[in-house]
Amino acid sequence: MKYLGITLERPKIGVFDFTGCEGCQLQIANKEEDLKDLFDLVEIVNFREISSDRREDYEIAFIDGCITTDSEVARLKKIRKQAGILVAMGACACLGGVNNLRSRFSLSDVIREVYDRHHINTGPVRKVADVVHVDIELPGCPISKPEFEWLVRHLVLGIEPQFPKYPVCVECKQRLNSCVLDMGLMCLGPVTRAGCNAVCPRNRLGCWGCRGPSEEANFESLIEILREKGFTEEHIAERVKFFNAFSGVLNSDR
Amino acid sequence: MNLKIPKHDINLEPFMVGPPDFNRQTVLMQTERGFKSEVVNIVKLTAIEKLFQIRISEPCERENFTFLPGQFVMLELPGCGEVPISISSSPSNREFIGLCIRKVGKVTGMLHRSEPGAMVGIRGPFGTYFPMQKMVGRNILLIAGGLGIAPLRSPIYWVNEHRSEYKDITILYGVKEPGQILFDYQFEEWRKIYDLNLLTIVQNPDENWKERVGLITDLFEDISIDPENTFAIVCGPPVMFKFICTYLANIGIPRQRMFISLERRMHCGMGKCCRCIVGSTFTCLDGPVFDYWTVMNLKEAI
Amino acid sequence: MLFKTITKENFKKMVEGLLEENEVIGPRSRDQDLGGNKIYRFLKINSFEELEMDYTRSYSSPKNYFLPFEEDLATYRLNDKDWEQEIRYTIHPRVIIGMRACDINALLKLDQVMLKSVYPNPYYFARRRNTLIIGLDHEPLEDCFCRSMNTDTVFHGFGLFLTDIGDRYFVAINSDTAYIILNQFDAREVTEEDQERYKTVKKQIESKFKTQVDITILPELMDLEFESEIWKKWGHKCLSCGSCAMVCPTCYCYGIEEDTNLTFTKATKRRFLYSCNLLDFAAVARGHNFRPDAHIRLKYRYYHKFRGFVEAFSQSLCVGCNRCGKACLAGISPKAVIDDLIKTEKK
Ligand SMILES: Cc1cc2nc3c(=O)[nH]c(=O)nc-3n(C[C@H](O)[C@H](O)[C@H](O)COP(=O)(O)OP(=O)(O)OC[C@H]3O[C@@H](n4cnc5c(N)ncnc54)[C@H](O)[C@@H]3O)c2cc1C
Ligand code: SF4
Ligand code: SF4
Ligand code: SF4
Ligand code: SF4
Ligand code: SF4
Ligand code: FES
Repeated sequence: MKYLGITLERPKIGVFDFTGCEGCQLQIANKEEDLKDLFDLVEIVNFREISSDRREDYEIAFIDGCITTDSEVARLKKIRKQAGILVAMGACACLGGVNNLRSRFSLSDVIREVYDRHHINTGPVRKVADVVHVDIELPGCPISKPEFEWLVRHLVLGIEPQFPKYPVCVECKQRLNSCVLDMGLMCLGPVTRAGCNAVCPRNRLGCWGCRGPSEEANFESLIEILREKGFTEEHIAERVKFFNAFSGVLNSDR
Repeated sequence: MNLKIPKHDINLEPFMVGPPDFNRQTVLMQTERGFKSEVVNIVKLTAIEKLFQIRISEPCERENFTFLPGQFVMLELPGCGEVPISISSSPSNREFIGLCIRKVGKVTGMLHRSEPGAMVGIRGPFGTYFPMQKMVGRNILLIAGGLGIAPLRSPIYWVNEHRSEYKDITILYGVKEPGQILFDYQFEEWRKIYDLNLLTIVQNPDENWKERVGLITDLFEDISIDPENTFAIVCGPPVMFKFICTYLANIGIPRQRMFISLERRMHCGMGKCCRCIVGSTFTCLDGPVFDYWTVMNLKEAI
Repeated sequence: MLFKTITKENFKKMVEGLLEENEVIGPRSRDQDLGGNKIYRFLKINSFEELEMDYTRSYSSPKNYFLPFEEDLATYRLNDKDWEQEIRYTIHPRVIIGMRACDINALLKLDQVMLKSVYPNPYYFARRRNTLIIGLDHEPLEDCFCRSMNTDTVFHGFGLFLTDIGDRYFVAINSDTAYIILNQFDAREVTEEDQERYKTVKKQIESKFKTQVDITILPELMDLEFESEIWKKWGHKCLSCGSCAMVCPTCYCYGIEEDTNLTFTKATKRRFLYSCNLLDFAAVARGHNFRPDAHIRLKYRYYHKFRGFVEAFSQSLCVGCNRCGKACLAGISPKAVIDDLIKTEKK
């Protein structure tokens, strides 16, 4: 394929799942009619959801899910060694995500509660960047297919992608949503990276911060505002910790 | 009853046909229509800088395109983006325009990967220019730091083409390392044919470097300046022109006779996107070329 | 200017007639805030009943019907190394009902930039030309300060402008199209009684202004207080969230992004409205940011509105609607900031 006279390489891609719901991989795999165009652009050599190929010569690795077990750590390190570019994909991989909720409880309690007496080998929830170097973080819970394709185009062109630096409020206002904070609901939109088109506030839910913090976000001011609006410390803490996107923001964590 | 709001289809208006002329600022309406142009030649200058020679494809658009030294164009790679770039060739060259571009990001990076024959879009020219007419009969001191030499090539060509109208021409050119020097293949020609005095200086020399070592301001020791009769044109990083212009002002050159070119983020070139505002001034309309007096009075300029 | 009156019943018929032939935009409410107040916005209406003529203030201004938040400026067909650019201006006749005097004045300010200065903007021009505006008077809210900005009345820039005088509207007529439409609904000449009632209503409106903002020496103050601590005080609270610029009827600046489809056969050049409070508004390649701090960016928002624009067009880029103040979670409003500036000056 050519673009502006430049012949585009067809990079080899692998998609790997770790601990997570696989929702992000499904995002890529759904709408089969578009997949052909994707295959024209990149060669998918390792992606359990859509093919039985298991080649190890991928140049770009997409990591889905967070890292919990020792064997996952080892597998991830191996992938890192092979991949020229490693992309953490989705809130679990980028932040720890929903899985992280269990970090609030003691690990042995969690194991007992979930697996009863079965023996299970699981460690603390870690985001990918806690274990290996991450080149690109593709945010979202789940990721969005258009944004994934946008990223793939950048990878094919060899251009560093620039995600929006500004917070969700910009998109929320552009969709003429009513601000849910005016309606008495909690929202982390002012400190969360935009790009999701404010779907949650659009549906009268506050933002939970799944896309991670916006750049140079003013947490202190937002938390002050939430307190003034009468939200309790517990309520604020619950929201802020939900996706593990804002560690160290609340004084109680420090 | 007639309650339909009449349709005014501006796609059919006379001002929408024919090639746009960006020099007719107040009547131009086809603000986004670019001139499709071919990259006819690419000259690799350093590891990160290339000179792109670009020729507007449509003959009538090419003939219409005129600019003055110091003006810039918006260069577009469809699907990639659009960036402001100073014109680095002679205004009298009506065949192609030269753009000297450093690879720093998305658009410039893609451009560096392109090959001759690639098609790009250009809109312009935009912005203010160096007032070459005002300098007639005087000495001109051109001072460039790093990539700042790119916008200076246009006035250098101009001076050569009108050589008898100007007195002494001096170029001071400083870079960090010898490998960063641009257009050294033209230095001979500038000195011999253009009859101008060119002094270069580097901060970190290598074993082959025979000329001066130090900061660009050190070159002032090597020349004599007649403040009454000299105009200065300064291009380079902001820290540089602050030092230089202060020095020149102290030896008596009026601030209104020093010209610098400012850089800001730009998304339109037409005073609409506001991204280039410095204080209350639009860099794309009232600049990029400003006299130093004006710059000193701009909030947040330097 | 011509004046007539139209009964509310006939006005209803007129709107219903307009609805049959055109797209009609008007104030509608969807949600309620904590205090039980309706939250209004300008949206497409499908029947007269959806139109809320007693609305207070729309949360966001109707500017997006003239300057959309996002718009494709050009599209391209790409093939190997060559491409073809295509530009189509959207021609979409429509009616907007219920715009306030301040909102129409805001458009007049945008006209200055978009139509009456260098490089007139064809996208805006196409929308402005194809929109019929039916304005509507109201009693100011507690925080409206349009009076101080001299934008509480409007004399042009609309088709019709309505003032409620009881059982009928007093109508100022400003375009031929509007005149023809109005006359199909038994609009009657203004009687002496109408005129008296109109005067009374106008007086009533005038008496309701509560908020004043002193802008007499504001342009100079912006320079004198350039280094003032008050910028840091407010900037410290600012979330750099851009809400103020998005809801503002006069903010117009933008960014451009280009993208292709997955097969690199089509490309678009897209404009999206931006805000000078956003982190990378003035950032350039390789990480340099000319306005790195929230308080500097906030200062420049005010600098553009009350100094830069005044210099260029002899008027401020603010109509006193206080939408930004309402939308700002951090409580930053022009009234509060300007009062602060004036106070520091007096000290
Ligand atoms: C008047 C003027 C003349 C210039 N002349 C030259 C020249 O002759 N040669 C040269 O190499 N460079 C020049 N530049 C700088 C050049 O415009 C930037 O390097 C270029 O925009 C970077 O784009 P990018 O997409 O590669 O970088 P990215 O970092 O990917 O930038 C993304 C976007 O940010 C904006 N942007 C980023 N940096 C700048 C910047 N410095 N100035 C303006 N907009 C920016 C652009 O809109 C760009 O598309 C000039 C800038 C101005 C304002
Ligand atoms: S609902 Fe949330 S995202 Fe939307 S404007 Fe309010 S705070 Fe911002
Ligand atoms: S609004 Fe917040 S939680 Fe919802 S998708 Fe966007 S970033 Fe995620
Ligand atoms: S005040 Fe800021 S956001 Fe508004 S138009 Fe000016 S630069 Fe843009
Ligand atoms: S700055 Fe605020 S008060 Fe002024 S016009 Fe904009 S939104 Fe209204
Ligand atoms: S002033 Fe308020 S609305 Fe504007 S960017 Fe700052 S916090 Fe957001
Ligand atoms: S570049 Fe858009 S206003 Fe100057």
